[in-house]
Amino acid sequence: MLATVVTKTVRDRWKGMVIAGISLAVMLLFGMAVYRDIDLSVYTDLPEAFRSLVNIPKDADVGSLAYGAIYSTYGALTLASLALSMGSASIAGEERNGTLGLLLGNPKSRTHVLVSKATSLIALTALGTLLLWGAGYLVPAVLNVEVGGMHIGALILHMFVIAVFHGFLAMAIGAWTGKAGLASGITAAVMIISLFAVGLLPLVEGLESGAKAFPWYYYEGSSPVLNGVNWGHLAVLFVAIAVLGAIAVAGVNRRDLRDKATGVNLLDRLRSHPMTTKIVDRLAGSMRVSRIWMKTASEHQGLLIGTAYVMFLLMGVMLGPFFNLIKDTLVTFSDSLPEAVMALVGNGDMGTPEGWYQVETFGMMVPIAFMLVTVAIGARALAGEEERRTMGLLLANPIKRSQVVLEKAFAMVIYAVAVAVATFSGVALGSVIGRLGMSMGNIAAATLLGMLVGLVFGALSLALSAATGRSRIAIYSTVGAALTFYILNAFLPLSDSVAGLAKWSPFYYYLSSDPLNTGMHWGHGAILLTLAAALVALSVVLFQRRDLRQTG
Amino acid sequence: MTDKITIRTEGLTKHYGDVEALVDLDLDVLSGEIFGFLGPNGAGKTTTIRTILDEIRPTAGRASVLGLDSHRDAVEIRRHIGYVPGDLAMYPSLTGKDTLTYFANLRGGVDWSYVDELAERLGADLTKKVGDLSSGNRQKVGLIQAFMNRPEVLIMDEPSSGLDPLVQREFQTIMREFAGAGSTVFLSSHTLSEVQRVANRVGIIRHGKLIAVEAVASLRSKAIRKVDLYFDTPAEQSVFESVEGVRDVAVENHHVSMSFDGHMETLLNAVSGRYTLVDITTQEADLEEIFLTYYRDEGVTA
Repeated sequence: MLATVVTKTVRDRWKGMVIAGISLAVMLLFGMAVYRDIDLSVYTDLPEAFRSLVNIPKDADVGSLAYGAIYSTYGALTLASLALSMGSASIAGEERNGTLGLLLGNPKSRTHVLVSKATSLIALTALGTLLLWGAGYLVPAVLNVEVGGMHIGALILHMFVIAVFHGFLAMAIGAWTGKAGLASGITAAVMIISLFAVGLLPLVEGLESGAKAFPWYYYEGSSPVLNGVNWGHLAVLFVAIAVLGAIAVAGVNRRDLRDKATGVNLLDRLRSHPMTTKIVDRLAGSMRVSRIWMKTASEHQGLLIGTAYVMFLLMGVMLGPFFNLIKDTLVTFSDSLPEAVMALVGNGDMGTPEGWYQVETFGMMVPIAFMLVTVAIGARALAGEEERRTMGLLLANPIKRSQVVLEKAFAMVIYAVAVAVATFSGVALGSVIGRLGMSMGNIAAATLLGMLVGLVFGALSLALSAATGRSRIAIYSTVGAALTFYILNAFLPLSDSVAGLAKWSPFYYYLSSDPLNTGMHWGHGAILLTLAAALVALSVVLFQRRDLRQTG
Repeated sequence: MTDKITIRTEGLTKHYGDVEALVDLDLDVLSGEIFGFLGPNGAGKTTTIRTILDEIRPTAGRASVLGLDSHRDAVEIRRHIGYVPGDLAMYPSLTGKDTLTYFANLRGGVDWSYVDELAERLGADLTKKVGDLSSGNRQKVGLIQAFMNRPEVLIMDEPSSGLDPLVQREFQTIMREFAGAGSTVFLSSHTLSEVQRVANRVGIIRHGKLIAVEAVASLRSKAIRKVDLYFDTPAEQSVFESVEGVRDVAVENHHVSMSFDGHMETLLNAVSGRYTLVDITTQEADLEEIFLTYYRDEGVTA
């Protein structure tokens, strides 16, 4: 039984891990190839504080630059995210799908099932880690790059442990509460917040040691790629993993299993409250089901609220005053930063408020936030209804398939606009509170371009969803494409010979015109808009041609 | 019942790769009739229905509803139909009422007092979230959804799964009311007894091929039954073997069991006067047995 559950879980999930491993290997290949071609002296002259922030070691060479920029951040984030999704699916996910009861109908204890799930989580994370480890040696060999002084194995080991930690955190929350969404939400928040805390807190006077309160510190605080394995730090994580495992065992044994769950969201709560019943009943009841797009839009409220909240408060408002706190540190070396480094971290001059927001908010988080909502809707829009077998019922009504596609796409646009409003007002408010004097028009322009790039990838996931009827394929492929395009856009311009190729990446049309400083680039906006519209049109054609899937 | 044709398939064929899910299916369903579409699991019933509804497209042949082409006029067709998919799934986070409102908004022409009446008759709770309902109660919401705009054509795929016997009977009454009012009901099922109770005609499908279309009355007379007779004295085998329609007789003292497909009266006449009958039980043979007995010669391999 133990072996059976492990085998099944591994079989369900190994593809995601392999895709992630290969994507990261390809990124490493691109990154190293580009670094090999450029003059590295620009990096070695950097001030220490900045180098540590972007993970560039003192005696920077091609290998350490690529490892620092790609493996230690993207790699760890990807591995940890996959472990997180396995962790939250392990108990709570099976509960949500109503399959846990079936599993426990066999003569095995809950602890047994949990241990099997934990085992497969560790096994799969190990598989991903091994792929990264192999690529870490293979790529430099292929490109003939010297990586002699680097502790690749140590980096990979640290990465493995931090990923398992996040997996176990999600598993423990899921096992204790039975809520898969809650488990992945909290764990993702812990991961992102601690990533930023570990990057930024050391720069704030008096708070340098605050980073030690965050799990991520025990992953990269000791720079394992330069200094080798830090067993003390790993021990902290091992203890945490053991504690989380124990919590998970206690949690899953202590409570009633949930029924095949229909979560309760904010609207439901308000709907049952006597004071708000009437108005919310209109809102949650009759309005929610008045149109296909409204219903679609009502389905991912939690994700939207969470994303908008993070963008508004953490990535927007709070960064304004925070800039004033660390401005001096940033300004002292902002002049000495070479152009190539700017490109790497989002082309922002961190001594100015615009550059600060560009690096912290717009460079990576804005596209991620937009894609989070657009891809969630796009990938599930059609495939989700097919997988849940409601598409047949929906299409038994006198509506065209094209109408379904277009209304779903419209819901996606509504979500993107909502995130745009949150991002814009957050950054604008941050600028006002921190007296940074940024141009409102320029903030709006950067947000708008970010929204459009998000819609391009949302529309790509919609097209894949329309073509295949499989939401997992749509999500994985879109995320893979987005990562690849992002990396291409970040690294290709560093090498003159291939810089022009960056124009093939949609991300080129997002920040290459420096909208935070120069305002809206309508030409770039038009290109992104056209691309998104073309992908939606393609979705309509693809969906109309196809047999609906019959699953179940 | 008129002789106008409501649903017609001509040479309808569907392949999934090498698998022939439907082979050259010709079928006419007449206006105002309840047509039972009968076959074992995996015979092609659902594939037929999904093709008629343009969920999937035929490899060859065509289907039409009310004279409209299933693919070209798909949207127009759906103005006139009510549909209950097999293995019904709905939106778990919506209440029954929300679900019906959603489809009513997409469809138009829903009479809410009729919805209330249907909910009352079927005992459906429309205030709970669909995901919190048992499968039978969820099925009721699906049935109301199909009936609520009084469609001209009802297409239902195993609609009574999960319903308790009382609700099944009420559901059958509603189907008859619809047929009585001129609507056409296309009812797919794998239970002979259900189809026999409501249908006028029955189409039997197996391995993707339509192997017979019969009036229910004649199918019933064909139906094999397992009959057990109990007497107050031991019985002789020869008495039964000579009766028309009797096969596989087994005598065990006072108890005689047999397969029987004739008129019950013939059997009773043969024993009356000779023995005193203490008890009699008859059991419907299952569908597979009927197929094997009657349709072995239709070129269908078992």
